Amino acid sequence: MITIIDYDMGNVGSIKNMLEYLGFTDVEISSDQERILKSTHVILPGVGSFDEGMKNLEARKLDIILKEFALILKKPLLGICLGMQLLGNSSEEGIKKGLGLIDFYNIRFRLNNGLKVPHMGWNTIKIINSHNPLLKDLDNNYRYYFVHSYHAVCDDENQVLLTANYGYDVVVGINQGNVYGVQFHPEKSHHFGMKLLQNFLGINNV
Amino acid sequence: MYNRPRVIPVLGIIDDDLVKTTKYTNPRYLGDPINAVKIFNGKYVDELVITDIRASVENKPINFELLSHIAQQAFMPLGYGGGIKTFEEVKKLFRIGFEKVIFNTAFIDNSDLIKRSVEYAGSQSVVVSLDFKKSITGKYVLYAKSGTVKSNMTIPDIISRLIELNVGEVVLNVIDKDGTMSGYDLEIIKIICSMIDVPVIANSGAKDESDFYQAINSGAHSVAASSMFVYFGKSKAVLVTYNSPFNKGGK
Amino acid sequence: MEKRQYQVCTRCVMDTSDSVIKFDENGVCDHCKNFEESIKPNWHVDHLGKEKLDKIVDQVKKDGKGKDFDCIIGISGGIDSSYLLYYAKEVLGLRPLAFSVDTGWNLNVAVENIEKVVKGLGLELYTEIVNWNEMKDLQLAFFKSQVPYQDLPQDHVIFAALYNYAVKYKIKHVLTGGNFSTECIREPLEWVYQNDLRMIKDIHKKFGKKPLKTLPLTSMFKYKIYYRFVKGMKVHRPLDLIPYNKTEAINTLKEKFNYEPYANKHFESIFTRFYEGYWLVEKFGYDKRRAHFSSLISTGQLNRDVALRMLDNPPYDKTQAMRDLEYVCKKLGISKDEFLSIMKEDNKTYKGYKNSSKFIALGVKIAQFLGIEKRQYR
Repeated sequence: MITIIDYDMGNVGSIKNMLEYLGFTDVEISSDQERILKSTHVILPGVGSFDEGMKNLEARKLDIILKEFALILKKPLLGICLGMQLLGNSSEEGIKKGLGLIDFYNIRFRLNNGLKVPHMGWNTIKIINSHNPLLKDLDNNYRYYFVHSYHAVCDDENQVLLTANYGYDVVVGINQGNVYGVQFHPEKSHHFGMKLLQNFLGINNV
Repeated sequence: MYNRPRVIPVLGIIDDDLVKTTKYTNPRYLGDPINAVKIFNGKYVDELVITDIRASVENKPINFELLSHIAQQAFMPLGYGGGIKTFEEVKKLFRIGFEKVIFNTAFIDNSDLIKRSVEYAGSQSVVVSLDFKKSITGKYVLYAKSGTVKSNMTIPDIISRLIELNVGEVVLNVIDKDGTMSGYDLEIIKIICSMIDVPVIANSGAKDESDFYQAINSGAHSVAASSMFVYFGKSKAVLVTYNSPFNKGGK
Repeated sequence: MEKRQYQVCTRCVMDTSDSVIKFDENGVCDHCKNFEESIKPNWHVDHLGKEKLDKIVDQVKKDGKGKDFDCIIGISGGIDSSYLLYYAKEVLGLRPLAFSVDTGWNLNVAVENIEKVVKGLGLELYTEIVNWNEMKDLQLAFFKSQVPYQDLPQDHVIFAALYNYAVKYKIKHVLTGGNFSTECIREPLEWVYQNDLRMIKDIHKKFGKKPLKTLPLTSMFKYKIYYRFVKGMKVHRPLDLIPYNKTEAINTLKEKFNYEPYANKHFESIFTRFYEGYWLVEKFGYDKRRAHFSSLISTGQLNRDVALRMLDNPPYDKTQAMRDLEYVCKKLGISKDEFLSIMKEDNKTYKGYKNSSKFIALGVKIAQFLGIEKRQYR
């Protein structure tokens, strides 16, 4: 039972499409608290600004539910794009506190060599922790679609799964316990994304 | 080092038909759009743009049914443009699976809608598509409604409005280059790119990869094309093809 | 009528899913017999075949002098037509126009193969784009008609488009990839019906909604008689005159063009694989692979045991079948439930509709008598 969090942000339809294409039938886009807690896997999508995202989660009490799902029930949670950023403590983009499910924060790109913000388009990833179940069978030739102006900064290198280079090496994949985050959009990254989502859905309770 | 421009096929539709115009007229029937999208999807294209080329000028409703089917076939970013008039339509496009909304006529007569869309979805999801025609005097004139309505906006006017609206990308189309496969109009690319920081996507006129490099060297962030991806050979046989020289490593 | 006991031929793999199949005392079926008695003796891939082929090539070159193309070859991205295109240009030295018809279902691999082969040979391509709205209407009507032969609309349209174009642009010689090597054992009439415009029109009348204005259609009369005898159009099957071996053909194409073969014959189109692998099998119990494998067995290209083992596996896997079902429904504009209820209705044949079967049967008899048609029709 998979739930894609509906908090009026992010392209939930595309994620559902890809999961159904992969053969997963019990996939719902929902903000129903009971269903979320009962799910085996939860995906937190997100496109937009940090404070808007937190506001929308809080308005639906989903911040509390997600913390319960991840910290108490310890079931697998995947944050995508803004969804990943919200898993952290804070962001330079706003003033609200994040979910704090992984110990990191977000800053705006510091670029000074002519590259534009946002980081938009396809880029290859660098695998930092190849033993992680999320990264099974992925390699450094894999590319994903990115669209973001802010990125994660993580002091604990054990939590860094993936980086990508845009001006400098940027953390784009992160994990602590059963909480995962990817900065790119797997649902818009063809078979590269399918592999990653399949891996995520193969992860069981810790 | 990041230097990976996107190569974006643009598909024109009229009602349920896939078509290709020449200089924005004489649409040629190309078949079923859903099948074309499926083929592009199978080729792992970087991104895809669907434009309804008559929605604005003929005041037609957006073909959401077709667009939903298309979105279900596509596992790469999708953009839609063509007759977007209301905020409800914008929200619906995002909901059914499109990443970007593309405004053309609205840039001239409904910029509030663009502003609202940026506020709602962020600038990276909002694109403005400009249709230019070069006058006899060499000036670039902006058009709307599939090239049927002329605008009085000067280039500086256009630039300041783009900045004011904070859109994420700009697509540059040149009407007289459309469907001709005679190369991009590099001059307008250079002009616009020198005046704004927002990523610019070159469109209209591409015939092969050498054109991509020329556009990038003129300042374009990414490139788009139609004819070269749907026509094959001298006789312009309809056959969907795609190649990006920028995606080495990662197939 | 009592159900026949299941029996499969001891030589090929045709079985009693062909309800009128006959077996001799050794358990060999009448398809095999027909192959041995009618097809094989008249099928020359030796010097006799070469002589015949040389004559054809000379005529084609002569008739094509001064013209842009001396022949036209329909290509689908499949092995037979791709190999024929290569053979015609590189070995026979002809100047073909490659002709492809887009009926709205082409798979990536087919489109890419067409691109690779045509580009690799430096040939020109013409594609006829069939109006999808009309095609969709006709195909949906055909599903509603409950007949097995769902490939008829596409087949008809493809050949009509090819022949109409050839006659219109005065390209006298049409080369097709049809061949005994892989098709000598023909599916029984139950599974597959030949082109019958009268039936197509009747089905469309009963279940179609849109008028067929631009869809290429021609009657059997028009193209087997008028085009042939009045317009001088000639249709040749060069692959019958050479020792055509499928495996070798695939290797040649792979080597020269990086060609990608499909899992099954005709699986270059999503529709065809859905229709052959799902509609025919689930609704009627017909597995077209039997006829295809039997042809390969008869021509020594496939081992019978291997064929039997392959037939034990379904034509394609369940997940793909479900995906294809969803896609087909989406394309036809109906819901999955609607389609599944169409599947449940009573099966029908051409006999349930106006048809020219008697007329066609007569035509076939004449053709068989004249020695033009060797395969058996029943």
